[in-house]
Amino acid sequence: MNWVLDPLQSTTLLWLAATAFCVALACGLPGTFLVLRRMSLVGDAISHSVLPGIVIGFLFTGSLTSPWLLGGAALAGVGATLLIEQIHSRTRIKQDAAIGIAFTALFALGVLLLRLYASRVDLDPDCVLFGSLESAVLRERFVLGGLVVPKVFVMQAVVAAGTVLLVVFFFRVLMLTSFDAGLAASLGYRPVLAGRLLLVLVSVIVVAAFQAVGAILVIALLILPGATAYLCCVRLPAMLWLAAAHAFLSSFGGLLLAYHTNSNAAAAMVIMGGILFASAWLFGPADGVVLKKWRARQARLEPADPSGK
Amino acid sequence: MAAEIALETHDLTVTYHKRPVLYGVDIALPAGELIGVVGPNGAGKSTLIKAVMGVVPLTGGWIKVFGQPLAKALPRIGYVPQRESVDWDFPVTVMDVALMGTFGGLGLVHRPGTAERERAAAALEKVGMLPYANRQIGNLSGGQQQRVFLARALAQDSDLYLMDEPFAGVDAATEATIIALLKEMRQRGKTVLVVHHDLHTARAYFDRLVLLNMRVVACGPTAEVFTPELLQKTYGGRLTILSEMAAAAAQAEP
Amino acid sequence: MIDFLGMPPGLWMPLAASLLLGIGCGLIGSFVVVRRMALAGDAVSHAVLPGVVAGFVLSPSRNPLVVLGLALAAGLLGMLLVRAITTTTRLKEDAALGIVLAVFFAVGISTISVYQPSGVTAFLYGQAAAVSWSDLLLMTGVTALVAAAAVVFARPLVVMSFDAGFASSLGYPVRLFERMFALMLTAVVVVAMQAVGVILVSAMLITPAAAAYLLTDRFNRMMLVAAIFGAAAGVAGTLISFAGAGLPTGPIIALVASGVFAAVFFAAPRHGVIAKWLRLRRRSARVARENYLKAVYQVLEARSFHGDGVSVREIAERRRETLEDATRGVQALVRTGEAFRTGEVGDIFLTPDGWRRAAEIVRNHRLWELYLTHQADYDADHVHDDAERIEHLLGEETVRQLERALAFPETDPHGSPIPAPERQSLGKGELR
Repeated sequence: MNWVLDPLQSTTLLWLAATAFCVALACGLPGTFLVLRRMSLVGDAISHSVLPGIVIGFLFTGSLTSPWLLGGAALAGVGATLLIEQIHSRTRIKQDAAIGIAFTALFALGVLLLRLYASRVDLDPDCVLFGSLESAVLRERFVLGGLVVPKVFVMQAVVAAGTVLLVVFFFRVLMLTSFDAGLAASLGYRPVLAGRLLLVLVSVIVVAAFQAVGAILVIALLILPGATAYLCCVRLPAMLWLAAAHAFLSSFGGLLLAYHTNSNAAAAMVIMGGILFASAWLFGPADGVVLKKWRARQARLEPADPSGK
Repeated sequence: MAAEIALETHDLTVTYHKRPVLYGVDIALPAGELIGVVGPNGAGKSTLIKAVMGVVPLTGGWIKVFGQPLAKALPRIGYVPQRESVDWDFPVTVMDVALMGTFGGLGLVHRPGTAERERAAAALEKVGMLPYANRQIGNLSGGQQQRVFLARALAQDSDLYLMDEPFAGVDAATEATIIALLKEMRQRGKTVLVVHHDLHTARAYFDRLVLLNMRVVACGPTAEVFTPELLQKTYGGRLTILSEMAAAAAQAEP
Repeated sequence: MIDFLGMPPGLWMPLAASLLLGIGCGLIGSFVVVRRMALAGDAVSHAVLPGVVAGFVLSPSRNPLVVLGLALAAGLLGMLLVRAITTTTRLKEDAALGIVLAVFFAVGISTISVYQPSGVTAFLYGQAAAVSWSDLLLMTGVTALVAAAAVVFARPLVVMSFDAGFASSLGYPVRLFERMFALMLTAVVVVAMQAVGVILVSAMLITPAAAAYLLTDRFNRMMLVAAIFGAAAGVAGTLISFAGAGLPTGPIIALVASGVFAAVFFAAPRHGVIAKWLRLRRRSARVARENYLKAVYQVLEARSFHGDGVSVREIAERRRETLEDATRGVQALVRTGEAFRTGEVGDIFLTPDGWRRAAEIVRNHRLWELYLTHQADYDADHVHDDAERIEHLLGEETVRQLERALAFPETDPHGSPIPAPERQSLGKGELR
């Protein structure tokens, strides 16, 4: 138990974990829909494509927590999807290659800009890969009701709250357009618009998450919670709750892991998320491998049910 | 006493990736009938349904449902998709799917309440799927899956129903249930347009037939159009010149 | 270390490394593009990181066999896990790839943060200058093997990529080839890592091959062009990075490759955007000219072909447009030699070529209308619009078929006579 309790004595660690949880929650909920729509790759692409936007925005605003940065870089994400569409629709190049071409080019541009200008401003180029949560939490803080609060936590909490509200509010739209675009259209929903808005939301969230986990590990925060939940339950509302639980466990657990092994926080979060996924893979109530084998064995041992399934 | 026209299309043309799927389709279907759409594979039957739903864009022509443009009339249309196009792994139960049929009147915000649940339950009861209400949809047999989507359409309480191969791959009991249900719907004044794959039963089930092979070969009462010559025209291969020129026209679009 | 072609080892060795990686990525990338495996390529390139880091940690002297061997193992393990996830759960391939990609990469990053091995940055971002002699030897060997395999087994690989079922029926060992392909892919990724970096390898896998895809319709040629583009991007990128004072080679090589793609995207002779736009413009111009020829013919037909000259005003009236538009349309005909005018504002007369084309267009239109009403049962009142489109597209052979199918008709559904230009004399205005 000390393994858990000791680190929690540190307020810095608590703020880190709380901020990480907000990021993970904001990513995991819309990310669940990305998994259901078979759009995990697009999530990866967006997380890479926004990098040049982030760097340029940072050069202008000097802060990774500026809302202008969020807006501008999110626009870059939308721009990337338009670019992909152009490549894909004007030539015979298929969608997966179009996505790959666009996001690798944009990512390369972002990495280059970062290396060229990072020394000029106070930006660690490795934050792209490693995230910069520790430094962000310690850097900008203000006093709120007698408590010293990191600015990045406030920003991430706002993003997370906003995301939760949007997902709850538009749950039916999201579910219907993800499951059956035809029915959604006939009921008056606009599946194409909903899809585009989902991507815009993901772009904004990805930019916000960049601070915590960098550009490459965001994909884990987007799809691990949803994928894990998918293996555990059969109804969408339950999946979303489980995704939130995954976000909580992976963020707090990850930070504890990072503390004890003295390793990178973002990577630890993802590893913890991966461990949770592996557990669901084996033991998940809906799709767990071990569970399915056990059930198959039970079915072989018992006579078949005459009433049929 | 002219019957109301449930579905009317004029010069309907749909191309997909520069290949023509439907070309110059003209049909006028009166309300309150059971209508079958038959034709060989690739004839564009599913595309016709999807075009009426507004899911595929039209390259030419127009569509009117109950005399109104599509956007206005969509609430009056119910849709039962092809089984193979559904994501059976999606985390929804049988009741969830039936409940979807009631979403039309709810707008974006309101949650489905008791009235909606009762409608969904009644629809499931009608198709005999109420005992399975809490099962995830992947966990069902082919016939059961078909019935769930039928229940959803019933819950919608539409005036025009579009069904894409509802009888494909279902057991005899389910098939009997479905056709009895369709006849009852017709009795209540509903119009049902069914993409059908089996010629033998087509003659027995439907009041009116649309013979389709990229263009309409014939459209009229079953007794009139179910003739050897017209069937030969429909199934005996495409008119090559027409197909070629339709393809050329599609290629020439920017 | 010796000089090569006058270049010091510090220059020619990184260039050689980039050249090799470009060739390898181009060859394998061709398969990745046509098999729609772009995401899988990306996943493999990220999955190798923990192997690389483990190699650095276990072998501080950076024995290339250890590092690259462990990277290979990590990549293959990743692909195995992806397959395991997709076959044992309902999760689809895209989610499985994303999970493996991220978790493996995280393990790599985590290990870096704990052990802080030096020189890892070169592998993350690519630094061709860090390539050692033993590295280069290994890279040459691997690239040669992969290239040989790609060339020798190109035909079965292509068949399998296109239609795995058919390949099985031919007796090809599909599973074996797929495993071989996975091995080749991972090997190329591992070789390319040093110069272009783990995070941008997939750029080199996809972009040069996609550019080649737009330039040729034959797969063998695509592989060759992809290898050339890859090599060019590698060499150019390395040279540029040297000129720019030691920037990491990875992003620059990737950007050069993207630049090549952009150039091809716009300028490719057949599939490029510019070429398509030009074709469209030429086609619209031809259609417009043919519509004016048709108008001249129809005006003359309306007055039973009395007189040969038609005024611009009559054309404007028939086409229901302004005098300026009609004048412009007629000028286009004059420019192509299909018509001539008597003076600046005189009447228009069709040349023999113009006559023939005008009669052909009118014939096409009326034949098609007849065909639609006859063979295809379309209503007579809306076949006109369709014929307006099709009249420009009918080829001579199709016209023969139509004439035969309709038994050499003489009038269209509206009763107008169907011209038969090949049976007329080519004199102006003479009709039999």
